[in-house]
Amino acid sequence: MTTHASMDDPRVTLDEQLGSFEPIPPYPPRTEREQEFYTVADGEMLVNIGPHHPSTHGVLRVVMKLDGERVVDIDPVLGYLHRGVEKLCENADFHHTISYMDPLEYVSSLFCEWPAVMAYEKLLDIKVPRRAEYIRVLTGELNRISSHLLAMGFHALDLGGITPILYSFIERDEMVEMLASITGQRMLFNYFRIGGVNGDLNHEFMSRLGDWMSRATAQVEANQGLLNENEVFVRRNRGVGTIDAQTALKMCWTGPNLRATGVPFDIRRAHPYSVYPELDFDIPTRSEGDSLARYLLRIDEIKQSLRIIDQCLHQMPDGPVMARVPRLMRPRPGRAFATVEAPRGQYSIYAVSDGTDQPFRFRIHDPSFLHLQSFTLLMPGQLLADWMTINASLDPIMGGIDK
Amino acid sequence: MDAALKRRLEARFGEGLQGPVRQRHDETEIRIAPAQVPDVLRTLHDEADFHFQLLADLAGVDTGTAMQVVYHLWSTTSSDWLRVIADGLPREDPRVPSITFLWRGAEWMEREAYDMFGIIFEGNRDLRRIYMPPDYTSFPLRKDFYLPDDAARSPGGGVRHMEQPEAPLAPGKTLVRRTRA
Repeated sequence: MTTHASMDDPRVTLDEQLGSFEPIPPYPPRTEREQEFYTVADGEMLVNIGPHHPSTHGVLRVVMKLDGERVVDIDPVLGYLHRGVEKLCENADFHHTISYMDPLEYVSSLFCEWPAVMAYEKLLDIKVPRRAEYIRVLTGELNRISSHLLAMGFHALDLGGITPILYSFIERDEMVEMLASITGQRMLFNYFRIGGVNGDLNHEFMSRLGDWMSRATAQVEANQGLLNENEVFVRRNRGVGTIDAQTALKMCWTGPNLRATGVPFDIRRAHPYSVYPELDFDIPTRSEGDSLARYLLRIDEIKQSLRIIDQCLHQMPDGPVMARVPRLMRPRPGRAFATVEAPRGQYSIYAVSDGTDQPFRFRIHDPSFLHLQSFTLLMPGQLLADWMTINASLDPIMGGIDK
Repeated sequence: MDAALKRRLEARFGEGLQGPVRQRHDETEIRIAPAQVPDVLRTLHDEADFHFQLLADLAGVDTGTAMQVVYHLWSTTSSDWLRVIADGLPREDPRVPSITFLWRGAEWMEREAYDMFGIIFEGNRDLRRIYMPPDYTSFPLRKDFYLPDDAARSPGGGVRHMEQPEAPLAPGKTLVRRTRA
């Protein structure tokens, strides 16, 4: 085997091939866990899935240790989408960092921007106008619905059903177009600003929203009929990837995945922010904690989001949508932690200011990261094909996980 | 702000805290020594009047002079986020006990802090790089790691953006651009 200099440090010589994706790494095990995982017993084999696979929701590689078709252990390998967003944000000014947040969880971009602007507003003691808060909640809930619809569609697609994703995309396209009419972008909105939002709601948005709301509930009911009573779908999901509430808490789970185990933890109620205390909605929970429960819970959440949107439209006050904010901001040295309930769970930002115009430390906490970690608990003992079900029901987004 | 939480923390930990309990907005903050992390977090997790059951975040911080590990906790007993800062880890050899015995989910967050800052979490059984490739030698989120367009300001003069511990520093220059959080 030939040797070559490390891409990172030319002083280091390596003897593995560049870009090789052998399941067994070409270097000795670095940790106890790696030693245990890469020691293959009689009758077991290691299989690579990825670095790209249709059901990995991004670029992910997992190494599976298989005994026949049973999974013995699993080792996810991350970093294929790592862009160093935290470092970039620490070298950009406060306004600039918001646009770096969008491509993290690219199906629910508004929820990446939201905690960032909340953290800065805390650092600067800015009070956001109430109309802007209502617009944030309204657009956020629309984004949550579109994200959940996509999760449901891809869940079916991963299991081989093509039809539901097409119906999901019909609805999702409505929402994407609605948001595009006020933000100018279909996916990476860059809409929230420190102290408010970029622009007020316009006529096109309101007419599209009104049009869609009049048939939304019926459409969601119709779409769920494709899967909820589909025997193949239900049988492949029921009892697969089961986790109990205590273990889920130990694994730091949040969001729909935690609520599917019976814990009614939702940041919107547990630690209210924005105008959520003024809105009336339920926190759906389920007790089974399996893939089917996670799928069904997302449908319940869509219905609650529709309720919230309805109330927002009725309660939204008039007024400005931006507070008076300086263009160049230098917050006093301090620390702020801001959290929102994103479609996948608790999305939070820990921002540290040192008095300059750039964040000194910008920490992004992504819920999918912790859900993906739990594959080491959920997969052992399952069949290889259950990977699709479990992965789809946990709904990780690699863009957010890899940062 | 939750004044009752502040009183409870002061009564329970008292001498063990480094500096006062700070409160701002909906956050309460305490600072402890790295060696106290397992005891303090176990107390916060287990005792009925704290009951901080949810680990909301685990972050490494490089202040330029020292390393920190920052834990954010959530509880039903308080309306505040509790921030526990394990402060004063030496930059040359930052070490802190792992908390995977309380939250197994902290394992990957500790791996990330190791990958980005080189902080060693003693007791974590899977402490290897998570985002960067295994042959990587630097710790990207440290303050002496410069981005390419930032390199002109770097002590090496802007040729390589990687860490160069051996490179002699120009007189009057320091390795760290910004020093205090």
